Amino acid sequence: MSARWGCGYAGRVLLVDLTAGRSTIEPLDHGVARRFLGGRGLNMRVLYDEVTPGVHPLSPENRLMFATGPLVGTHFPGACRVNVSARSPLTGILGDSNAGGFFGPELKYAGFDQVIIQGRAPRPVYLFITDEGAHLRPAEHLWGLDVWETQQAIRSELGDEGVQVGVAGPAAENGVLFAGVFFNLARPAARTGMGTVMASKNRKAVAVRGRGMVRVADPAAFASLVGTADAAIFAHPEYDARRRLGTTRLVRALHGLGCLASFHFRTGCFPGVDRVSGERLAATYRVKGKACFGCTIPCSRFFRIESGPFAGLASEGPEFEGLAGFSSRVGNDDLAVALRAIDMCNRYGMDVISASEAISFVMELGEAGLVSSREADGLDLRWGNANTILALLEKICRREGIGDVLAGGVRRAAELIGRGSERYAMHVKGLEVFQADPRGIKGYALGVAVASRGGDHLRSEPWFELTGDSEEATRRFGEAEAAQRLSPRGKGRLVKYYEERCALADCLQVCKNTLVNMEILPYDQAACILAAATGWEFSEEELQASCERLVNLERCYNARLGLGRADDTLPDRFTREPLPPDSGPSAGSVVELDQMLDEYYLARGWDLSTGLPKGETLSRLGLEISVNPGAAAPGGCS
Amino acid sequence: MYDLRIVVEEVRGFCDMPMRPGDYCELRGSRLSIPDGRYFCMWALQSVLPLLPVKQRRIAEENDWIPRTFRVTCPDPDGMVILRIEQLDARDRSPVDQPGARGDSAVERPAPTGRTLVEQPNARQWTPAEGNERGPLPRMLVNSRMCSGCRSCELACSYRHEGVFAPSLSRITVRKDEVGGADEPVVCRQCGVARCVQVCPCGALARNPRTGAVRVDAGLCMRCGDCVAACPFGAIRIHPDTALPLICDLCEGDPACVGRCATGALRYGRAGDLRHAAATGPGVAGEATAGRRRDGGAAECEAGGQVK
Repeated sequence: MSARWGCGYAGRVLLVDLTAGRSTIEPLDHGVARRFLGGRGLNMRVLYDEVTPGVHPLSPENRLMFATGPLVGTHFPGACRVNVSARSPLTGILGDSNAGGFFGPELKYAGFDQVIIQGRAPRPVYLFITDEGAHLRPAEHLWGLDVWETQQAIRSELGDEGVQVGVAGPAAENGVLFAGVFFNLARPAARTGMGTVMASKNRKAVAVRGRGMVRVADPAAFASLVGTADAAIFAHPEYDARRRLGTTRLVRALHGLGCLASFHFRTGCFPGVDRVSGERLAATYRVKGKACFGCTIPCSRFFRIESGPFAGLASEGPEFEGLAGFSSRVGNDDLAVALRAIDMCNRYGMDVISASEAISFVMELGEAGLVSSREADGLDLRWGNANTILALLEKICRREGIGDVLAGGVRRAAELIGRGSERYAMHVKGLEVFQADPRGIKGYALGVAVASRGGDHLRSEPWFELTGDSEEATRRFGEAEAAQRLSPRGKGRLVKYYEERCALADCLQVCKNTLVNMEILPYDQAACILAAATGWEFSEEELQASCERLVNLERCYNARLGLGRADDTLPDRFTREPLPPDSGPSAGSVVELDQMLDEYYLARGWDLSTGLPKGETLSRLGLEISVNPGAAAPGGCS
Repeated sequence: MYDLRIVVEEVRGFCDMPMRPGDYCELRGSRLSIPDGRYFCMWALQSVLPLLPVKQRRIAEENDWIPRTFRVTCPDPDGMVILRIEQLDARDRSPVDQPGARGDSAVERPAPTGRTLVEQPNARQWTPAEGNERGPLPRMLVNSRMCSGCRSCELACSYRHEGVFAPSLSRITVRKDEVGGADEPVVCRQCGVARCVQVCPCGALARNPRTGAVRVDAGLCMRCGDCVAACPFGAIRIHPDTALPLICDLCEGDPACVGRCATGALRYGRAGDLRHAAATGPGVAGEATAGRRRDGGAAECEAGGQVK
């Protein structure tokens, strides 16, 4: 093989200008790679430098980026992921989404760490990336096809089932603002509207086929470190449950804690939970376990419905967010209906979290008398109505009737509807919140409030608060109550720590299930394995600082758009309305956000009143930027 | 009425019995006999049974397909044991001469490259199914129902053989049907009578007598690709740089892919070896073997009687 392949990193960045129909290949800047590691780090740096506040999310100047990490393509378990980033059309701020599956490694084998796309193609195209570079191919014939049809059509016209494809579905084409980029049929980078950005560039899909390889600098050390991670994974007490149920086990678990998003967060327990739980799915429709590329935890599942109105429905998944979203959140206790709704989202290319929020939002407005059935195109807005759920998904995708109101997310929908509906819109910074009730998990609540892409749990995932391990909490976070989910204490330091772990996972492109939730690969081991992969020296401190740098850079990006402490908030329901008495062990709880924010900003070295990084914090991290809320900062970040 | 002889003409796959080319049984009237000390696979036999009563009879009808049908394949897709039904001359019990019925001399068939290959008679090829005094040699056993489709095996293979992570250099590939949810690891089955060895025009392929794996002699290989086309399982690929065939060598008896398979979809052993099945079954024993085969896959597929 030729010498251009580096170790760990592929060493090349692909730049595509769709307007000009041109592409160039540039070497990956080693200095940048060291400071931002990979994946999300690489993307956020470009976002900061090139997508300035004047760039509208749906304009040709917005950059759509795909990036992998230095471990992707190796057999480090779960190192298969890819970050898709751009300025978000849904939230207007930082947009970023992460997906598993098989696309990331294929991009590495084609020899690219990152792909940066700008411009708008004059006619619909799809991008085909090979070892030689980018090829733009016509996509008029694919326009209007759903995600599944598009992937099949591209694989068959390229004559290669090994081609990995990321698709923007019909929802993205129609301008639904929470449309994702979908890989491997059911493995989307779903959040913040990255599919919408892709379609706005007249680009239907990105396909990649790599024939190359990923080398590591020290094969023996690398193998031994992977062996250590393997052993830790197989010995993990949750291994069997994860293998059997994946994230769907959370439906039942969160119901048990009294903080499962139920009836649009009106309560934390769902009476029909046993009919829609992950356990139920495993006992009824599950066919077999599935895994992402190179992963030793087959936590995904393939299911098939054999009888009833949805007979023949078969797909990979679902994950917790989809399953709870279309069951407890919308008040539906028919598992098959939930699976069909998720399947529709996968085929139309929509984010299940935002879509399920949109539907449960309208249902609650119906219940509160703010929206009548007539205004909702004659649909029966009562909780759990199967016909309504499926019809609304169809309408959102096509942007017709009430669906057009919802297609911009609930923040916009509430603006359009008015009548006080804002207080029912469960979003933070314009991004719809997930399927756990923040009132029952305060660390998560803080994480969701401060997350750089809006109401999102995957920027921090502070699962440790569920352990109740006070001793460990004192040792790690200096506060025993950090391990108590209903206490606001210690959560600032907890969230800081886990935000950086999530940043590490997104930069190395390792699954958060392993790296964050199972605590595989602590910083010292991560430094060793990065060194073994790349041949560069990495220290534990340097790695942790890189993660902290990324979190700060993202905060600076949003600060430049005018965001600050006032935006680190939660819907009033979570901070003012206690969980009702039927919410089991979480009953009576509200989120004490301000107190946690203070502790968080303090831990971060951010200003308590503005919520923005202090100058000394930025210089400590080597970020030579100054942040004035609302004012566009000149120059780049590196 | 004819007497019949059912002969194992060829073993294209891996027969666990093992059946060998030349093994036979005979039918006189309704009486079935097997030579002393020999045996015949019931599964293979049941596949020819429905044909036997009509093959015993003379059929004069020109458009009937029965008189022109002589071969039946055993239903085990991994085995690909081909049985030939011979009608015997009542006087000397030699096969009645009928065009296409015999397979005892060199068989001519067009090669994919357009050349005509002259194959060696099957019976001369050493087969790992015969194994040694301890029985058949272990081989790759694949249970695609257990496969999660993660492709770790591809990485383990390329890492062991080439020192890099590159699915395009792997000797094992996972064929995926994403819509149907199926994942099928495709790897050399260590065919009894290996067609790749048969068709190689320069004798570059030979068996490793210790493991039974097919070995490629890079010095002899002329990189024609005939073995790729000949493999009935599509398990051979071409190295993108050297153009040598990539054929599983069983890692000299310690397959790297099996070591990294987290589900038990890949095993290295003997089909029907219950000790091995128990060792990889669920529970404590399963965790003892490499600590990772937590699925009861082996036990499950053994119970089904067929390993795919």
